[in-house]
Amino acid sequence: MRKLLNSVSLLSVLLAAPFTMPAAHAEDKLEALTKSEDNWAMQGKNYASNHYSTLTQVNAENVKNLKVSWTFSTGLLSGHEGSPIVIDGKMYVHTSFPNNTFALNLDDPTRILWQHKPKQNAAARAVACCDIVNRGMAYWPSDGKTPSLIVKTLLDGNVVALNADSGQEYWKVENSDYKVGSTLTVAPHIYKDVVLIGSSGAELGVRGYMTAYDVRTGEQKWRAYATGPDSDVLIGDDFNKANPHYGQKGLGTATWEGDAWKIGGGTNWGWFAYDPGTNLVYYGSGNPAPWNETMRPGDNKWTMTIWGRDLDTGQAKFGYQKTPHDEWDYAGINFMMLSEQKDKEGKLRKLLTHPDRNGIVYTLDRTDGTLISADKIDDTVNVFKKIDLKSGLPVRDPEYGTRMDHLAKDVCPSAMGYHNQGLDSYDPTKELFFLGVNHICMDWEPFMLPYRAGQFFVGATLNMYPGPKGDRQKGEGLGQIKAYNAITGQFKWDKMERFAVWGGTAATAGNVVFYGTLDGFIKARHSDTGELLWKFKLPSGVIGHPIVYQHKGIEYVAIMYGVGGWPGVGLVFDLQDPTAGLGAVGAFKQLANYTQMGGGVMVFSLNGQGPYDDVNLGEYKAN
Amino acid sequence: MRPGNVEIMDGQNMSRVARLSSLAFSPVLAVAFATGVGAASLGVSGEAGSGAASPTPAATTTTADSGALRICAAKNQPPLSMEDGSGLENKIGVALAEAMKKKAQFVWSERPAIYLVRDYLDKKQCDLVVGLDTGDPRVATSKPYYRTGYVFVSRADRNLDVKSWNDARLKKLGHIVVAFGSPGEVLLKDMGRYEDNMAYLYSLVNFKSARNQYTQIDPGRMVGEVVNGAAEIAVGFAPDVARYVKASNTPLRMTLIEDDAAKSNGEKAPQRFDQSVAVRRDDKALLAEVDAALVAARPKIEEILKAEGVPLLTIPQ
Repeated sequence: MRKLLNSVSLLSVLLAAPFTMPAAHAEDKLEALTKSEDNWAMQGKNYASNHYSTLTQVNAENVKNLKVSWTFSTGLLSGHEGSPIVIDGKMYVHTSFPNNTFALNLDDPTRILWQHKPKQNAAARAVACCDIVNRGMAYWPSDGKTPSLIVKTLLDGNVVALNADSGQEYWKVENSDYKVGSTLTVAPHIYKDVVLIGSSGAELGVRGYMTAYDVRTGEQKWRAYATGPDSDVLIGDDFNKANPHYGQKGLGTATWEGDAWKIGGGTNWGWFAYDPGTNLVYYGSGNPAPWNETMRPGDNKWTMTIWGRDLDTGQAKFGYQKTPHDEWDYAGINFMMLSEQKDKEGKLRKLLTHPDRNGIVYTLDRTDGTLISADKIDDTVNVFKKIDLKSGLPVRDPEYGTRMDHLAKDVCPSAMGYHNQGLDSYDPTKELFFLGVNHICMDWEPFMLPYRAGQFFVGATLNMYPGPKGDRQKGEGLGQIKAYNAITGQFKWDKMERFAVWGGTAATAGNVVFYGTLDGFIKARHSDTGELLWKFKLPSGVIGHPIVYQHKGIEYVAIMYGVGGWPGVGLVFDLQDPTAGLGAVGAFKQLANYTQMGGGVMVFSLNGQGPYDDVNLGEYKAN
Repeated sequence: MRPGNVEIMDGQNMSRVARLSSLAFSPVLAVAFATGVGAASLGVSGEAGSGAASPTPAATTTTADSGALRICAAKNQPPLSMEDGSGLENKIGVALAEAMKKKAQFVWSERPAIYLVRDYLDKKQCDLVVGLDTGDPRVATSKPYYRTGYVFVSRADRNLDVKSWNDARLKKLGHIVVAFGSPGEVLLKDMGRYEDNMAYLYSLVNFKSARNQYTQIDPGRMVGEVVNGAAEIAVGFAPDVARYVKASNTPLRMTLIEDDAAKSNGEKAPQRFDQSVAVRRDDKALLAEVDAALVAARPKIEEILKAEGVPLLTIPQ
């Protein structure tokens, strides 16, 4: 972050002479783009995924003057996760299924520059577990031979690269087969010239995998599974050398019964990060399958694991399993955020911080995976008493475990986790992470219904409701926003929210943290105190994350709205049974009283300045 | 469709093929069926409590004097139970009621039949379930009124005369359809074939998660998968699949599975089951009445089962 001042000039050099740059340098162009505040070129903003803007035009003093500058409707219902991306004066907007893309000119958003509406099999809709969301797109700047590309995932499992200038399909590959329950909702992540694509469908026994493609051609470079033989998992020679107690060889099969690893889950549909210094990409694999833990004895490695993999070969340098033998569906796909901070001994370290579904926020040394801290996201977490930093293992409280002979009540977090897919932010000057948090607990009631001819049905009823700090009578107080210091383990401030803060946060050097709420507000809080400074009610609830960019001297804050996703599943499908949607319907039963569906983008600036300052912009002109 | 068109194999070899008149399968009898399954007019009444004919709430513990037999039934559990009364067990229920000199009064459940005991019988919404395993500990069961078992269903043009789970060919087959939670699923897991089949099986239920909702593959779909070649073999409980095997335009082979299946740890995996009518455990008077009526109704019930194409086994004494 300290190089930011130089980045704008570097960018202009690159832009001035893009076709004379040797191809070998093209790898740096994407990272350079991310260092300009004119762009928000990737979902996490930059390789470190800190979601932090150095812009200060909008700040704690004047944020109250934010007004709508311009808007865009995607024309689609269902949940809109992720955010638009902004590069070189254009905004690229994604949608929920059918995964349309729109390109807009920041100077003149009156007209759509191009739109891409892929044809996909509607049958894929039925396969998606929790609404038909998509988490956004990735951009790659031209190397002079290959055009600039927008890369996106389709729910039916395809990955498509579009010419960023025209919207024409440039390449398309099938990454996942929805016919075997594997869909794509994950945003592509591009680092250097490698596109990384995750996977979904663990609930249905999909064996999770990460795939790397050559951004120029769509050709597969490597694929690493979450379970199975080391050769499939791409366990490197020096895997977990620094922390052999995390486990090393052969565990992708040895920690499963029989061939159960083949249907073992561990998909990864969240947010990744990349460090050019270590050349490692960091991401989390999700929950093991099947859901019923008694059917899969063992640690079920390498589900629920924080990975550090070589970007070019896929070989894993480390893997730290957070929740061995998951019992709660704490899919550990959550975002990875890189920082450089001094540890408690004063030693400057390269860190990786990850707030997990399981209610613990982990910080690792990202060079070798060494665990540095593991704190409860909220003191109401009860499934674990603590994480033993030496062994890396959680100390469970069996009362809040789930098993077939046990009615577990007041399990915190619920299956939704205290932190789900939100893409959060880190302010390096304050050394604070701003976490959007779920404050939801659950009862987990197992049942077995016998039938006839030796048949039976085993299930579990999940009832979800606000955590202890919420209002269980009203069914509100389901979320929090918290400022966390990973070194001290302290929370500088925290505030309750009516509903989960599902989408994530964006922080700026203007001492402001922005985020959207499920009931449809975009809010700004003071990043030092949490004081509420500004809010605006959007047309629909938010499950995506805000972005911040500047264009021609004006700082803009943009956010997608469009309620849905897992928390909005009751609203999207009009479900009434409180235990439906694995209990999400009951937890968010009040949501429909606050907001309704509808997707789009809203862009704010001080006093609403922007393209429509020119009242004649886009006016029809007679001949 | 008339029962007279159906012939059932002898007890030694229960293999049957529907519509195989021109093919020379020695253990097979040719049968010709009218297409489809006619919905018999059974004159059954609708929802419990919805009409004047319903017994008063006070009479819920027994129907002995009410003149109506309140039968717990799922609205949509083909082919066993359907709201139009065309289900196999609806017909048997009517035959039983007739033998009891009562009027069959179906108490319909929107939910699958697996919920009937818990949500209907135990809550005294109705008094009798047609078709549970003899000896089901949740209920009092009548003397068995028939015995049958799981069957392998394959296309007649495939030479898959598999009779036992011990047949090594099963390990090499493509997709095998089994019902979720059935002994077939247990055996597929045990022999290491489940992992290759799971995604396929879930595709048959549109990938609906089975965690907190009962999810089952429609038996007609199971047979259809064999017909269209997507699965090489289907494993179903005979009363669940017999109707579709019989109605198939593509000749199919249906073979009752030998009762010699066991998991690798030696634990037996039963394939054959006695079927009973069930009442609440304390409803002894009704049970006695049912047992007596089953004797009288036996020829009629057997006729219904044969018409359905369900292979029958001798009930052990």
